[in-house]
Amino acid sequence: MIRIAFAGKGGSGKSSVSGTFARLLARRDRPVLAVDSDPLPGMAYSLGIAVDDHPTPDDVVIEGPEGGPRWVLRPGLDAAGFIETYASSGPDHVQYLQFGNTWGHFQTLQRGQHAWSQVVREMDPAAWNVVGDLPGGTRQAMFGWAKYADVLALVVEPTAKSIHVARRLQNISKAEWAPSWVVVVANRVEEDSDVEQISEALERPVIGVVPNDAAVTEADKLALSPLDHRPGPFVDAVEQLVGVVEATYDLDIQTPTNGTP
Amino acid sequence: MKIAVVGKGGSGKTSVSGVLARSFARSGHNVVGLDCDTNPNLGLSLGVGDLETERLLSLRDQIDEDEQKHAHTWDDILDAYGTDAPDGVRLTVVNRIDNPEPD
Repeated sequence: MIRIAFAGKGGSGKSSVSGTFARLLARRDRPVLAVDSDPLPGMAYSLGIAVDDHPTPDDVVIEGPEGGPRWVLRPGLDAAGFIETYASSGPDHVQYLQFGNTWGHFQTLQRGQHAWSQVVREMDPAAWNVVGDLPGGTRQAMFGWAKYADVLALVVEPTAKSIHVARRLQNISKAEWAPSWVVVVANRVEEDSDVEQISEALERPVIGVVPNDAAVTEADKLALSPLDHRPGPFVDAVEQLVGVVEATYDLDIQTPTNGTP
Repeated sequence: MKIAVVGKGGSGKTSVSGVLARSFARSGHNVVGLDCDTNPNLGLSLGVGDLETERLLSLRDQIDEDEQKHAHTWDDILDAYGTDAPDGVRLTVVNRIDNPEPD
């Protein structure tokens, strides 16, 4: 099973790449669970799933034990049951786990987010390929929100700011819980020198080169998945990326025994 | 006046704030650019450059290592932890998350 998470600067294209990646992986007859830890669920758009304002009822959790997490799944509801009941089903049979509700008071939102974390932590690793999308910037990634992933893909545009963020994110590889493989996906590439600029600045292999594709901007404007609006060079490049990641798993990544090293 | 610029990642917050700050400075205002992002890049769009942006950020580490003293007032903070950007803007950075959390 593949477990990959996408991080990077806000607007670098994480959601577009991760959503497209999830669907293309699912087209290879793999069961795919897309997990979005951004409270503003951009990944839903690129999967072609309507954003759900209230996917998780407040009563999926109860108060946690003293000294433990604030909220835990209610008795009788485990990770598999949660996914079956509350994940959204999208095109190509991708199941999508939204990061709790989009609207509501902070404390109410926490319930769904705790449920999400517990499900991702405790789900059966043999049941799903996991494709994750993190919020922009470094905060969540540095706080260990990508622990479920073997592969952390940094989505980088050929701009100073985007490269800056990726350089900081590389520090994650120093953590004990670091994903086995921290790699770079160059996005919105227009010429060879863009890839050179990115690979010279970062100490990681560039495993995907995704060209700037006007169709993706159009899809964004129309709130459509890149796969459902004039699929072209962008989709071709993400398809190649899926192939590279699959091949890498065959070579040197052990499937973990669970999601939390 | 105090202006905060907010919006989705990639929508152009940093570029807009950088140009706003320098435009106000050019029309004669005293301007402080305050980067509140945990992943601060305002230095890049103000034009202080890559190295100076990083240097500003490393001041925080110097406090942790006792190489730099804490500043106690707003003006001290600007003096000790700020840098001069073009058009007379003074830039300072609130926070950065630099290293992953231990488990």
